[in-house]
Amino acid sequence: MQLESVSKRYGLRQPWVVRNVSQEVAAGRLIRLEGPNGSGKSTLLRIMAGALMPSVGRVTGRPRAAYVPERFPGGLGFSAREYLHHMARIHGLSGPAASTAVAEWLDRLGATDYASAPLRTLSKGMCQKVAIAQALLSRPHLLVLDEAWTGLDQAARGALDAAVGERLADGGTVLFVDHDPARLAGQVDERWQLAGAAVRYLPGAAGSGGRAAGGGGSAAGRTALSEVAEAAGVGEHVGPDGGARAEAAVIIELGGLEAGSLRQLGVLDGVLSVWPEPASDDESGRLIELARLTVAGSHSDAILRRLLGWDGVHVASVRAASGQYGANPEVAP
Amino acid sequence: MIALLRYQSANLFRSHRWILPLILYAALISVAGTSTHLSASTSAQLAKLEGQNLASSFDWSAAILVPVVALLTRSMLTAEPGAARACVAVARGAGRAQLATLLVAFAGGLVLGLIGACYELLTNPHHTALLIPFLAGIGKALVCVLVGSAVGTLFNPPLIRHAAVALLSTIAAVVVALVSSVSPASAALHGNGATVQSAAWPTGVPLLAALVLLAVSWGASCWLAGRRAD
Repeated sequence: MQLESVSKRYGLRQPWVVRNVSQEVAAGRLIRLEGPNGSGKSTLLRIMAGALMPSVGRVTGRPRAAYVPERFPGGLGFSAREYLHHMARIHGLSGPAASTAVAEWLDRLGATDYASAPLRTLSKGMCQKVAIAQALLSRPHLLVLDEAWTGLDQAARGALDAAVGERLADGGTVLFVDHDPARLAGQVDERWQLAGAAVRYLPGAAGSGGRAAGGGGSAAGRTALSEVAEAAGVGEHVGPDGGARAEAAVIIELGGLEAGSLRQLGVLDGVLSVWPEPASDDESGRLIELARLTVAGSHSDAILRRLLGWDGVHVASVRAASGQYGANPEVAP
Repeated sequence: MIALLRYQSANLFRSHRWILPLILYAALISVAGTSTHLSASTSAQLAKLEGQNLASSFDWSAAILVPVVALLTRSMLTAEPGAARACVAVARGAGRAQLATLLVAFAGGLVLGLIGACYELLTNPHHTALLIPFLAGIGKALVCVLVGSAVGTLFNPPLIRHAAVALLSTIAAVVVALVSSVSPASAALHGNGATVQSAAWPTGVPLLAALVLLAVSWGASCWLAGRRAD
């Protein structure tokens, strides 16, 4: 699938939500879209899914797609089973195949008990299960998930993770947005960062450069350094089990800071350990030649940015901590 | 497309959005029935006018199709939540999903038109020359269903998304469609079909104009369906 100069705005006087995105989406990739609220993630997802036409540019070669919207209000008069049966037929399944697929997905998502209840009486989580089931019924080659995990119970989240794995194993492409940085992070091939209607393409944990250790850097080349950090895949390094605790770490080595600052570093969000140990108050003015921070992958970007802003501090190197997944990465100084 | 039509018609029935247009149609048609029979009793001795009365009751049942079908179209266009619409659009294309929605409302209008014409025929107290005014009435009803569908499509989402503006402009457009001399519906009703002598298929022009209007409005609606946010 190819995005060709895709841009979108919701009206001639409106700002561009997505601007000039040209990118090839290879089959069999798990792609995560990242960005703050309102950065155009949902819009780009809808365009790629085919629910929305771009204002400029086009999407070519889109495979058979299915889409799970961000919210699925059960405003339809059907029961869950009837709705899913209709959707299966719309996705091109024959009558008997549709019934089989509906029963299978209701069961896998743990929704069978409520399948006969009208959609409008269902809870948010149940509606979300229906939305997920309608997308998975047809085993699409392009699965687009817009915060699909929100509101699901533990078992259904696991079922959805498994379904994503199946789609990928089938050679399908899965695009997703989720605000939990640990979501599927160990399997992510690409991360698309959306900011100011533009997109930056970064490798994910499972991407080609994802587990490679980055080289050194210095405070003089800040841009170069952040690129190194990105090449090192300092995003969400999370184990295949998807557990939030299993985040891989990134080691940042830095010099030129005062011993007293070590304590400040220790309380930053995402810092797992600081070496050397923060000094006692009487020697807080001592200059540290080399300090080593072990930080959670998901926070490493933010921490790096922060460090680069500190006077006198230079970042000596950034690398992935042993490249292994683990509940508590042990890094010997 | 068949799956889409089946889904949309099931949605129409299960969402109960067909009830209000049906009640409106039934109420308006029975109002016409009363007035027609009153005027029939005053002109009973003028046999020549009997056919005219029948023709005018067909006119009435056709004319009220404009607001009823516009309302039905509006109901269909607003029946499906945006998220569900997006899921269908991904599977089959936003334009095709929109076309299915419009087709179901249109088919509903045709059924109502046919029911209305049969009702007028069966409740007609006269027994002269029924076939020609009946066919003329069907023709007029068709033009009015086309115009009603076009009005409902043009003045409702996705073309007009503001709920109050959509409703008011739909009502205004229905009035214009019925009284304005440029309207195909008005031409069909008042053109040459008013008397039994000339009652036949409404001249081709209003029908053609109504078809063009419908094509334009449906085209715009389907084109915009995938381009605007919900």
